Amino acid sequence: MWLPLLGLILGLSLGVLTDIQIPAIYENYLSIAVLAALDTLFGGIRANLQQVYDDKVFVSGFFFNIALAAGLAFLGVHLGVDLYLAAIFAFGVRLFQNIAVIRRILISKWEERHIKKDENTV
Amino acid sequence: MKKRIVTQMTVISFIVGLMIAVQYNTVQNPTTRDTRDIWAIRQELSEEKENHSKLLSEIATYNEFIEQYKDDDTQSQAALLNKTVDDLKREIGLLPVNGPGLVLDISPAMELVQFGYEIEPIAPDLLIRLVNEIYRYNGLYIEIAGQRLTHRSAIRDINGATTVNGVAIDETDINIKIITETFEKAEKLYGYLYASTFRDDFYLDNLNLRINGAQKNIKIAEVDGPLSTDYLVENNEGD
Repeated sequence: MWLPLLGLILGLSLGVLTDIQIPAIYENYLSIAVLAALDTLFGGIRANLQQVYDDKVFVSGFFFNIALAAGLAFLGVHLGVDLYLAAIFAFGVRLFQNIAVIRRILISKWEERHIKKDENTV
Repeated sequence: MKKRIVTQMTVISFIVGLMIAVQYNTVQNPTTRDTRDIWAIRQELSEEKENHSKLLSEIATYNEFIEQYKDDDTQSQAALLNKTVDDLKREIGLLPVNGPGLVLDISPAMELVQFGYEIEPIAPDLLIRLVNEIYRYNGLYIEIAGQRLTHRSAIRDINGATTVNGVAIDETDINIKIITETFEKAEKLYGYLYASTFRDDFYLDNLNLRINGAQKNIKIAEVDGPLSTDYLVENNEGD
């Protein structure tokens, strides 16, 4: 359970310590890619909690979403339309929904455990 | 099955963490852009070029010395050493020097004298500024009112009198002799001083500064009195 969090911290510290930078013109693409990656990550957690997790869907979704988001942003830049806003909107909404679902599942699980405990004590 | 999920999650979170950190780095320290245009870069290049040629000519001079030391017999080596000593003495002010340069005349502004203005001797601040500018524009040796400037010279106010090397300059009619390396440099210095605001600055102090054209030969005398070297210590570390 704590291993993914450890991975996140490891990645963060590695990135900060090595001081890798990307050219400023690719900054937008990376920010959208980060958003897409976060969305996929929370989607994966939700699917796992709902017992519908499929690793093929998860892994392919991760890379496909990132590529799609960056591609949309790229297309938007060349067409003069801010298409990256569409990606930010879509991923942002899904991120909130996923986190809301995760919260509900965790609360219901916690309540179930609480009720079971009460029954045991009675 | 469960283990596989955790592994995948860990790998993906690692990638996400790395991406976030990179984004953070990029946003926090944007790479500073070189905003110099081609002329600014050329300017810098020409300065470096000048340094380069200066160093090269210095190297050539010293190589020449080395060759002379190597080739010649003992007698001319001694002569060469004496010549070097003389050169050094000339440089620090123990021997008189000749060379191309220019002469500045400072005199009270006549029209002000007629109206009864009191003319005071030149102020040390103004003199120091003039000397600094002369050195900045390739002046080698300077003499102010018969006082040769050396590395130990001080221009300062002592009890209300402007002094150079501790000798008071009471008169308002003085001249400043400057020697430069070449005649071209003397001409350049003349051009610079002529275009500078010094004449206006002197006129503010009721003095006229006349800048005479560059001359082929100017003589500056040696320092008056001994040049004390109390604080210099002989270095006994031979090679």
